[in-house]
Amino acid sequence: MSAAVAVSPTKAELHAMPFVRKLDGFAEEEAIFGLELIAGRLCEVSGEAALSLTISLVLQAQERSEPVAWITDKEHAFYAPDAAANGLDLDALVLAFLPDASSKARAADQLVRSGAFGLVVIDLAAEQRLPPALVTRLLGLAQKHTTAIVFLSGHETALGSLISLRATTRRTRRAHGEFVCELVAVKDKRRAPGWKHEEVLRGPTGLY
Amino acid sequence: MKRCCVDRLACIELPSLPLQLLLQDQPEWKGFPCAVVDQDKPNGELLWVNEKARRLGILPGMRYGSALGLSSELRAAEMPAHRIEDAVQKLVEALQKFSPYIEPCAEEPGVFWIDASGLLHLYESLDVWGSAVRKALSAIGYVSIMSVGFTRFGTYAIAKASRYKKEGAVVFADPSQELAATRRVPLLRIGLTPKTLTLLNKLAVRTVEDFLKLPAAGIKRRFGDHAHRLHQLGTGDLWAPLQPAPPPDPHERVLDLDDEEKDSEKLLFLVKRLLDPLLLRLLSKGQALLEVTCVFEQEHGETLTELIRPAEPTLDAAMLMGLVRLRLESMKVHPGVTRLVMKALGVRATVEQLRLFVEKPKRDLKAANRAIARVRAAFGNDVVVRARLENGHLPEARFSYEAMTEVPEAQPRVVPRRSLVRYFKPTPLLLPPRPAREPDGWLVRGISHGPVSRSVGPYVLSGGWWRKEVERDYYFVELKSGSLCWVYYDKRRRRWFMQGKVA
Repeated sequence: MSAAVAVSPTKAELHAMPFVRKLDGFAEEEAIFGLELIAGRLCEVSGEAALSLTISLVLQAQERSEPVAWITDKEHAFYAPDAAANGLDLDALVLAFLPDASSKARAADQLVRSGAFGLVVIDLAAEQRLPPALVTRLLGLAQKHTTAIVFLSGHETALGSLISLRATTRRTRRAHGEFVCELVAVKDKRRAPGWKHEEVLRGPTGLY
Repeated sequence: MKRCCVDRLACIELPSLPLQLLLQDQPEWKGFPCAVVDQDKPNGELLWVNEKARRLGILPGMRYGSALGLSSELRAAEMPAHRIEDAVQKLVEALQKFSPYIEPCAEEPGVFWIDASGLLHLYESLDVWGSAVRKALSAIGYVSIMSVGFTRFGTYAIAKASRYKKEGAVVFADPSQELAATRRVPLLRIGLTPKTLTLLNKLAVRTVEDFLKLPAAGIKRRFGDHAHRLHQLGTGDLWAPLQPAPPPDPHERVLDLDDEEKDSEKLLFLVKRLLDPLLLRLLSKGQALLEVTCVFEQEHGETLTELIRPAEPTLDAAMLMGLVRLRLESMKVHPGVTRLVMKALGVRATVEQLRLFVEKPKRDLKAANRAIARVRAAFGNDVVVRARLENGHLPEARFSYEAMTEVPEAQPRVVPRRSLVRYFKPTPLLLPPRPAREPDGWLVRGISHGPVSRSVGPYVLSGGWWRKEVERDYYFVELKSGSLCWVYYDKRRRRWFMQGKVA
């Protein structure tokens, strides 16, 4: 029913494009949780809105033609219709289902080592323990291939000292079925922690 | 209603701006009941509706499918957020011709506050000024209402309540007059949600005066943040100075030369020095270059002005430089140029245009294919998959997984509004039974997450009668910890299950 129109990015979308921010020389304090910020780093995200904000990252990566892999187990997969409703190209998103944290990290090692992925998300669910040797290897590979590795963890506890950016997320309800998803950097090796990033998202169909 | 940073403040409202934009796009819909929906699907929510639709009982907040049940003539479409942003920007530019200080309302598209101080030197009266503003907006296809007073909330409420004033503006001579009129405004007009209005009506709170007498803390607790904010605005507790939109950026760059320059080749490089930052400036604003004017100021005060217009708006510097070179080759630059001015005119760029400007990443998809082959070899063939959407009815039937051997280039879509994403449990988790009494203290995720504090639903799903009938009532339940779970009650098994959670 709606006519096809040329789609222009909104201001938020524009700001989410890291190259725009870089070229325009936006202030460093205006931190945007984007691919540019976390490329070549290990990042740990937890909290109430971790999944939704990570899906935004995947979308950014796909907009930049960066292949993305999502490693999880079958009991902690995202609901694919929700991801598609956010604009994600599911055909191009590599999903790997592995049973435990160690296998997930080893699969991530194989993927990042190829240098072909711009973003690898590892959903650890409630598991927190990862062999330090594997994490060290992942860090080296991420730096070498400028790949962003995001760990989704169930708790705010640390994965280890090698994590370069650790962030917690919070979701608050706003009027008319909108939710404000806020990400707060708890640890950031490249700048002072405490910076925040916000996105306003709708609830899934039926949630208001 | 205590303070104001300007002598006179005006509020102009364009009622249901997104709907006005929709009718501009689809003029043939004017005789029909129309609505703007958040998504063009039966489940989409009606956000704005016109008077014809209201008369048929179609109201904002209804589902598109239900509204079509009331009138099959209903016309509805989505109105992308960027289109509304563009319209607001254009309206600000149009209003800046009447006052330099315009503040668009961040929460309600179509509401603008204007500094109306000092205009009596230019206009006979503020009513005449108001007529001129409304005429200008009418000329570009918008219906508007205006009030001129002294406070932000007062002018807003009066503009909302003065729907039938055909021309000019409602002008108040002094603050007490404005205050008295504001207090009489029916609550129905000031943008409270239907639910809040119903509750307030039961309490016989029907005007702004009644509303402002209520205690602020109670409003927040009982009616939420939106009503509380309006209350604070009304009482003046949320006073803020006018925050006008910045004046338009001319996108202009100037280069003064120490010595005169006659060589067109060298001039070309000077043009490039100015063109690149102009393109970056446009890019940072999400615009592409529509045309560029090069002004070559020569010695003795003569100027050469050249307008260069590409075939379509672009950010491609190489292509633009090609056009400039062709123009310079045909120009006679004598005497030499001492000053160069470049003015760019931009238009909103599409994502594709912006993407062209970016360096393509050098990721090798064949290497990605080899990597997933190694993962399959190490962990099993069914480990690497892709999700595929299906036409199912039940949540678990709406998608499936299929083996993935090749990684194609991603083609993401741009969606007008993004939404939260849920985790999905393929094997729903059996929940403890729900106590029969309210408040039930139902512990969905154990004692650490606390009891259910709010639930939204039910959304009834049934099907599978040809095989094994399924009848489920889906709910979103919010726990005291803030966790949002997606649960259902299986009517046949008489059990509650957790299908997933919003994260």
